[in-house]
Formats: sequence, C-alpha cells, structure tokens
Amino acid sequence: MMLLGAIDWHSFFFFVFALLAAGFALGVVFTSNIVHMAFYLTLSLGATAGLFFLAGAEFVGAMQFMIYVGGTLVLLIFGVMLTAQSRFVHMKTSAGEWVLAAAVGSTLLVLLLHAAISNKSWTTGREHRDTLTIADAQHVTALGQSLSGVRPDSLEEPSPAARRGMSGYLLPFEIASIHLLVVLIGASYLARAKKRVSSSKS
Amino acid sequence: MDLLPVLLGCAVLLPLASFWVILLVGPRMGKAGEHAAHLATAAIVGAAVLSYVSLFIWLNLPKVEHGHDAAATTADATASAKHDDHDSPGEAHEHAAEQTPLATSGNYWTLGQFGRLNISISYYIDSLTLVMFCMVTLIASCIHLYAMGYMHDELHEITDHEVTLRNGSTLRRPGRYFRFFQYLSLFCFSMLGLVLAGNIAMVFVFWELVGICSYFLIGFYIERKSASNAANKAFIVNRVGDFGMIIGLMALWGALGTFSFGDIDANHDHEFSADERGLFSLVRDPANGYALRETDSMVVQGATRAGGEQGARAIAILAEHDGDLHAARVQIESEFPDLRAGYWLLIVAGLGIFCGCVGKSAQFPLHVWLPDAMEGPTPVSALVHSATMVAAGVYLVGRFFPVFCGEVLLIIAIVGCITLFLAATIALTANDIKRVLAYSTISQLGYMMLALGLGGWIAGLMHLITHAFFKSLLFLCSGSVIHAVHTNDMRKMGGLLRKMPVTGITMLIGCLAIAGVGVPFVIGFSGYYSKDMILEQAYSFSQANPQAWTAVFFVMAGGGAAITAFYMFRMWYMTFVGTPRDAHAYDHAHESPAIMCGPLVVLAVFAISVAWDTSLAGYGLIPLAFLVYQGGRRGWFKRSATAHGHNAHGHDDHAHDDHGHGTHGQDDHGHAAHGHESHGHASPGHVAHDIFPALSWQSIVAVLVLALIGGRLLQEVLPESHLSLRNLLAQSQPAGTQHADVIASGKWTDAKWPNEHASHVPQIVIPVTLLATGTWLVGIGLATAMYALRLLNPEDVRRQFSAVYTFLVNKWWFDELYDWCFVRPTHAISAFMSGIDRNWIDWLIDSAASCTRWFATFWEKLADQTIVDGIANGVAAWTHAVGLSLRRVQTGRLRQYVMFIVIGTVAIFVLISFFWSTSLARG
Amino acid sequence: MNPLTQPVTVSHYLIVGAILFVAGVVCMATKRNALGVLMGIELVLNGANINFIAFGSSYLRERNLGLDGQLMALFVIVLAAAEAAVALAIALNFYNNHATIDVDHADDLRG
Repeated sequence: MMLLGAIDWHSFFFFVFALLAAGFALGVVFTSNIVHMAFYLTLSLGATAGLFFLAGAEFVGAMQFMIYVGGTLVLLIFGVMLTAQSRFVHMKTSAGEWVLAAAVGSTLLVLLLHAAISNKSWTTGREHRDTLTIADAQHVTALGQSLSGVRPDSLEEPSPAARRGMSGYLLPFEIASIHLLVVLIGASYLARAKKRVSSSKS
Repeated sequence: MDLLPVLLGCAVLLPLASFWVILLVGPRMGKAGEHAAHLATAAIVGAAVLSYVSLFIWLNLPKVEHGHDAAATTADATASAKHDDHDSPGEAHEHAAEQTPLATSGNYWTLGQFGRLNISISYYIDSLTLVMFCMVTLIASCIHLYAMGYMHDELHEITDHEVTLRNGSTLRRPGRYFRFFQYLSLFCFSMLGLVLAGNIAMVFVFWELVGICSYFLIGFYIERKSASNAANKAFIVNRVGDFGMIIGLMALWGALGTFSFGDIDANHDHEFSADERGLFSLVRDPANGYALRETDSMVVQGATRAGGEQGARAIAILAEHDGDLHAARVQIESEFPDLRAGYWLLIVAGLGIFCGCVGKSAQFPLHVWLPDAMEGPTPVSALVHSATMVAAGVYLVGRFFPVFCGEVLLIIAIVGCITLFLAATIALTANDIKRVLAYSTISQLGYMMLALGLGGWIAGLMHLITHAFFKSLLFLCSGSVIHAVHTNDMRKMGGLLRKMPVTGITMLIGCLAIAGVGVPFVIGFSGYYSKDMILEQAYSFSQANPQAWTAVFFVMAGGGAAITAFYMFRMWYMTFVGTPRDAHAYDHAHESPAIMCGPLVVLAVFAISVAWDTSLAGYGLIPLAFLVYQGGRRGWFKRSATAHGHNAHGHDDHAHDDHGHGTHGQDDHGHAAHGHESHGHASPGHVAHDIFPALSWQSIVAVLVLALIGGRLLQEVLPESHLSLRNLLAQSQPAGTQHADVIASGKWTDAKWPNEHASHVPQIVIPVTLLATGTWLVGIGLATAMYALRLLNPEDVRRQFSAVYTFLVNKWWFDELYDWCFVRPTHAISAFMSGIDRNWIDWLIDSAASCTRWFATFWEKLADQTIVDGIANGVAAWTHAVGLSLRRVQTGRLRQYVMFIVIGTVAIFVLISFFWSTSLARG
Repeated sequence: MNPLTQPVTVSHYLIVGAILFVAGVVCMATKRNALGVLMGIELVLNGANINFIAFGSSYLRERNLGLDGQLMALFVIVLAAAEAAVALAIALNFYNNHATIDVDHADDLRG
C-alpha cells in the first residue's frame, strides 16, 4: 500500500499534467469536430504549460500560457469560428487514411519512445533533488540577460570549453523580432480586403 | 661608243612610252583619239632621229683597220658604180687577219642568275643593228604618217559591211583609231627591242611580242571572222616555229651555258673570262682562227653521254685527264674521229633557232599565215608583214650566222629555195592585189634565206633592207589603190594611172626595184644590186662545189627572178594600164591625200637608191629638198596670205598634175559598199595639205636628183664615211666569214661555202649580171605582152595550163593539206576527247554524284532519321513519359504531401536508429 | 515499482513529448480541415518544446542544457505564433477564395 508520504508529489503532478496533455492531444487527433479539436488543443497546451512549470522553466511556462494558449490558440479559435460553417465542422477522414496514418504514427511513436528510454543518462533521475533551492530557479533574470547577449550562467560552468560555447541570444532575438515584423506585414497583407467568391466550390 | 646604248635604248623605249600613254588615255586624246596618232608618230619619228644620230656617232668612231675596208674607203669612191668594193681579186684576198666585227655589247639590267646562266636585258650594237634601226624607224615613220590618212575612217562610227550579226543586220561599231596606233607603237617597240637585243633569250621575248602585235594588228577588224581567223592562224603557225626555237634555246644553254651574243665584261676588269664570253666567241674561238668549232665542254659532254663502249671510254678519258676539258677533248677526237660528239648540239641549236625563223619569216612549210594576214589594214601589211616582222627571221639568221654549222646552212638554203619558188608560182595566179604582194614577200624572204644559207651574208641582209623599202612602198601603193577603188580585186581595176599618177609611178618604181631592173654594170634600182649579189653567191656556191645538186640553187633563184618580174608587172599592168574593167570603181577613183602620198614618195626614193654607193647621208636632204622645192613653187617664202589652194580648187601651177585629192569627187562617194578595208577619206589630207604639198612625178624626180647630188657631194666631203649600205653591212660581217676562203663546212656534207668575196670576181659577176638582166627582161617582156599590149591572151594560157593553174590558184593546196594533216585530226581528237569528257567522265561524275545522293538519302534515313532522330525522340518521349508518370505524383492533395513528408521522415529516423547508437547522445 | 514514488526523469518528458509529436504529425496528415492541420502543427511544436525544456531542466538532470533549452523553447513559441498567424491568414484566404476549408479541395496545383 502506498503511503501518501512516500508519494513524490512532483511525479504525481507530472503524471497528471502528462496525462492531460497526452490525452487531450490524442483527443485532438481522434475527433473530427473542429471546435472540439480547438478546445482539446487548448487544454493540451495548458497542460504542457504545467509540465513546463514542473520542469523548472517557469518563465517558459508562463510564456506558453500567455503567447501560445492566449495568443496563438485564440487566433486559431478565431479562425475556427470564422470558418465553422455547418458543413465544415465535421469532416471525416476516410478509413484508409486512418490506417496509413496509424501505421506511420505508430512507427514514429515506437521509434521515439525507443529513443526516449534507451539512453541511460536520461532514465536516471537527478539525485539530491531535495537540496535544490529556489535560487536555482531564478531563470527569468538570466533569460533576460542572455537575450541581451550576456550569459550569466557561464560563470558557473566548470569546463572552460563549454564556457566558450555559451553564447548570447541577442542575434536570434533580433532575428525573431524582424521575423515577427515580417510576419505581421505579411499577415496583414494576406488578410487584406478582397473580393469574396460568391459561389462555393464544395 | 658609250652613248650608243643609251640612244638606242631610248629609241626602243619611246614607242613603248607612246603605247602606254595611248593605252591609258587613248580614247580621250582629242576627238575620238586622233591625237593618239600624233603621239605615236612623234614617238617613232623621235626614235628615227635617235637612230640616225646613233648612226652618225657610229660613223665617226675611230675605225679599226679592217684590211679590205680600209682599201674600200678610198677605192670605191671612184670605183665604177658597180657594187664591187674590191678593186681586184688580188687585193681582196690579202688574207688579212679575221677580226671580230666592230660591236659593243653590254648589260642594261640583269634579271637573274642561274648558275652560269645570266638572264639579262642586254644589247649588242654593231653596224647591222644600226642599219636595221634606221630602216625600221624610217619605214615605220612613213607608215605612221600614211596610216594617219588611211585609218581616218576609224575616227567615226563605222558600218562594217563584211560583218553580219546574228539578226541579219550589218555591224555598226565605234571607231578604234587610237587603238591602231597603240598597237603600232607596241609593235615598233617590240621590233626595235628585238634588233637591239644582246642575247637570244631577250630576242625570244621580243619575238613573241612582235608575234602578239601582229596578232592584234591582223585581227584589228576583229568582228570579221576572216580577220580573227587570220590572226589566230598567224599566231599559231608562228608558235609552231617558236616551239623549235625553244628547243634551240635549250640546246644552246645545255651546250654553251650562255645566251648572250657578244662578250660582256660583267665585272669591268677589261678582260673576258670564260664566264663572260658570249655565243659567238665561244663557238668561233679567236685562237682557232674564228672557224666554227664545238667547245671542249660540248665535245666531252657529247662523248661521255654516248652509249656503249664509246661512252664508257670517254668517261675514262675524262677521268684520266682529271677534268682538263681541252686535253680530254683532244684525246677523244683522236680516238673517235667519227663520233662527232657535241656536233649534234650545234645542229640542234642552229635548226631550232632556224625553226623560229621559219615561222616568223613565213618560210616553207610555215608560210601559210602570211597571205591570210592581209586581212589586216594595209599599213599593217606594209609595216609588219613586209618590212619588219617577217624580216626579223632573216635578221636573226644573219645575227646568228656564226653559230650555224654547214648542215644547218644547207637546210636554210634548201628551205629558202623551196619557199622562193613556191611563193613565186602562187603569186602568178593571184587576183587580190595584196595577195600578190604577200606571196611576193614570201618569195623574197626565201631569197634572203637562200642567200644566207649559201654563205652570202652581206647579200642576204642587203636584200632585206632593199626589200623592206620597196615592199613597203608596194604595199602602201596598193593601199592607196584600194582606198581609191574600194576593192582588192585586180580584175576590177585597170587604167588607174591617169587617175592616180603618184601612186602609179611610185608603184612602178617599186615593181622595177623588185624585179631587179637596171642597166647592167652601170646603175640600177636597189633591188638590182641586192638580187644580183644573191645570184652571184648562188653561182659561186655552185662553182665551188662540184656536186650537181648545188646548181639547183642558182637555177631556182634565176627562175624565181624571172617569175618575180613577171607577176609584179602583171599586177602593175592589171591595175594601172588598159581599159578599166569596172566603170563604177574607175569613176570614183581618186588620188590619195598628201599624207598618204608623201610616204610613198619618200619610200620610192629609197627604193631606187638605198643600195647605191652614194652616201646615205644624202637622204637627209630629202625632206629639205621637198620643202625647199615646193615652198619655192608655192611661194611660201613670199609671205603671202593667199590660201594654198590645193586641190579643191585645182588652180595651182601644176594643176594638171594635181589629181584632185578627192574633194570634188569625195562628195560623190556615197558608197554603201566598201571594199575590203576601212580606209580614210580626204579629211586628214586637208590638214596635211598644209604640211605636205601636192606631189607629182616632177617632185619625185627633183627630189631624187637632189639626193643623188647631195649624196655624191657628201661622199667627197667625208671620204671616210663608210656610208654605203654594203659597207655598213660589211662592218658587221661575222668573224670567220671575212677573209677565209671557206667560211663554213659540215661534217656530214662535203659542200664548202665560199667566201662572199669570191663571188665578186669578174668570172662570176659578168655572167650572173647578164643572166639577171635576162631574167627581168623576159619577165617584164612577157608580162607586157600579156597584160599591157594584149599580144597574148592570159585566158588562153590559163586554159592551156589548166591543171597547173588549178594547182597554183589553190596555193599548192597547202591550206587543204594542213587542214587534213593537222586541223582535222586535232578536231577529231578534240571531239573524241570531248566525247570522252561528256559521255564518260561526266557520266562518271554524274553517277558518282547520284551515288552520293542515293547514299546520302539512304544514310539519312538510316542514321539520321532512324538512329539519331530515334534516340533524340526516344529520349524526349521517355522523358515525357517519365514526366507524365511523375505528374501523377502531384495530386495536389495537401494531406498526401504531408503524409509523404512524414513517411519520409520516419523512414529516415528508422534508418538512423539502426546506425546511431544512443551512446553518442550527450549524456 | 510505483511510478508515483520514483522521481521523474528526462525520459518521462520525452515520452510525453513524443506522444504530442506523433499526435501532431498524425493530425497534420489526416485532418481535412485546414485549421485541423494547423493544430497538428501546434502539437508538433509543443512536443518539441517539451523536449527542450526537459533537457534544459536542472531538476531532471545535473548536466543539462540550462538556459539554452529554455531559450530555444521560447523562440519556438515565438516562431510558432508567427507561423500560426501567417498560416491562419493563408487558410482564411483560402476559405474566402474557395468558400471551403477542406484541404482536399485545394488541389489546383495538381499535375
């Protein structure tokens, strides 16, 4: 019998979130209702955010919520709503394609699972987890600093070779900014007002 | 002496310059090119002046003591008028030393050197050269002036009635006045160059040049088939002779290694080394007494190339003497006296050169071109085909005399003998006035060749000069007659003496000259002297050689003289005497304009007196006498402005002599039909009237008397002047023929050629002179009886000898013979060859072409269409098929694409997972 | 052993990530709705993010990617957002032009 005291709550919540994420992801796959899919996806990504929190990447988790769930998915839901005519809501895939997809998907899954559990270093947990302090999780400042080009965690890196390989992320940051700008312009161009097609082609 | 090459060179080049100028700007020189004639005439007169100046210089050169010449200068001034310049036989045979004749030779320009052979432009000037220059330029000047009048028609557009075009109309063409003088100038240049030439190669070049000028001139009326055929015939027949000449040239080069006539001091060391010696001194070595003898190298060459044991022995002898040619030759000749090694080369060289002369001088068998050459205008006939070009052959024989050995001389004599007889007989029956003269020319050339062949060097060349004058005179007179009556046919003439007195009288003078008329032992026309010399030499030759055949030459020559006299006077009587046979022609006949009559008179003067002993310088007085006499009569010196009314108004002092120069008759000349030649009307005569006063027989006599007197006087003034023709020629007598008793002999014949001196002994002179007198008496008498007095009917004679007549009228059927022997076979061969070409070769080529075409088509089908196109099309089709099949991959279905991506990715992952161990992952 | 008592390791995260990834891939390959395909794309990216985070977590391993992992995940999020915007614009354009959101009807580019 399990003792509540012996439960590793970290693991417990991990499993909760993991099941949520995976389950809802599979739900997205298997449902044919677009609206359901959108909803399930939202929940799945929310669970993923929880996984991020559990892994110690609070900032990323927060960002996941804010940007991904609150931005991207909302956008996606907008799209769903805009195009959710009655006949488009349920669109079934044929059985043959399911079979093929299942075959391919299961192959891939097996492959990835095999890769996931085959590495010894990945399957052993961290020792002395209990000794970890909150201070170790002050990643936000470090993230911000590294986005400005400074890698504060390089000071703690023992091996000099690895220290040299640690670079700032200022350039990617800039690239991402420009990228977003371009996307913004592109998207607004694509979404400009156009003549609507009167007849449907279904 | 140094001036002579320059002067004579300039005399040669002046006509050339005239030719070039007329060639380049001819049509633009004056109206229709009339100044071209003036330029040409000026050039040739300039050349004449230079020639006479050169003669003058020559005459004043210090003379080398020739034995008999020194005697002659003092002796013959007072000698009898007979042409004997040896007072007595005893003096003549002083056996003075032979000497090379006084000559100068040198190089103008060396063109190239081939081993020992030097090809150069060189000159050889001796008295023969100068005499030829003076004769050619004088006659050419006269003829240029004559032609200015004769060719006047060419200044306008011409309707040539002898040419029918393909559409049936007669030809109308623009005149070619300037072109005539262009060709005349070129001809004069060529002839003078030939005479001046110092080496046989240069002679050959100019030989061909005169040939082509003759071609141009004969074919002047080129649209006429007869004229162009005649031009072709002349050139081709000449070419046949030139073929032999080239062989002769080759033999000379092979034998003697040089072309040059005289010794040329090329390196100016005043010595003649072996390389510098010319032909004459090589074959007639001074050391050998100038007797003709092969050179050492010829003998050795000939011996070593003989086959069999003689050749081998000769080679051995040469090796023994270690290259000493002379010693080797001596030994070879002593061991093989019958070998006659090297002599063949001499014979070949001589015969080769003579071959060229046969062609050029229209000897048998190459005489057929000269009668046809009468298709050219009459000035051409006068200049080219009587006086100069045909004389070039005789000149060359005379020039080359030292190199001819006995056999060659014999052949020359035989050919000349046959020719003179052949042509004389044909002339008996000719009805065309120019044909008579043409055959007469051939006959007289035969005489010259005969003379030269029998050793009469001076005789032959003197006949050349005298013949030039009287033959050109005769031709010009005939041209004048043709110009007047517009026909060549003597059967349409008659009684023209009243209408054309100047022409008639001068032609009579010419006929007398050619017949050799003269008072025996006293005086005679020029032909008398030269013909007598020939007969004497022939007689002397037959005396010197006891064989019977040697008399043939003399008999033929004598007979020929009689025939000559006969046919010449037949011609004269038929033309000028009796009732006119064609009233229309007679009515329109008129005397020629003065520009045509002037030269007639000048030439008549020379025809009479050129062979006289009187000084030739007297003839410098002729133009002076003309002008003075006529000027006095016409009042030129009275400074009156009255028009020299000549002929149009006919009121002069000698109006009765002035046979209208056609002005009154000219307007009546509305002839549609012209005779054989285009000729000029009186228009230039009007221009020339101011220069050449009206001529009459009184003028001629007056001028002649003045010339005689003047000459005689000059003779007294300049006793050393050597100015008679014979003396001048004698100065160039080749070494080896001057004093020796026998001037030539052969190795295969026993005949001996006696020295010319031997023919001047009274035992020979007297009988021959009487015989010659007899010949012209008989000839002229018979002609008079038949044609003037009509005592004998020519028709009867013709009927009696009809077979002979037919034979002669058909010119001994030579043309037909040549046609059968050469022309038809050539045509047959060429037809055969062209048949081969057309049928076989063309068939071959055509079938090759069609084979190629078939193969190309087949190959194209096989290779190109099937294989290449197949491959290309196949590849394209395959690509297309692949593309079509690949196209099906593009379904356009998005999910399928994604699926493919996924499958691909998964596949990659699967593959990697087999090869990538997880231990590589960063731990 | 009881999984709840064991500490969570990287492989757990990886498994989850794998599942999400595979789900997303299948979604991309099978959904007829264009927006469904987009959702699949989001799932794929999330699966990858989970991997990044897992490797960069100091809780799970001692030697980890650290900031790199998180930063990469961050960038992925950003780019996913951008890409989702553009993709949505395309899909809506497609919907506007063809009056259908079915990707099977987007076969004008078929060969």
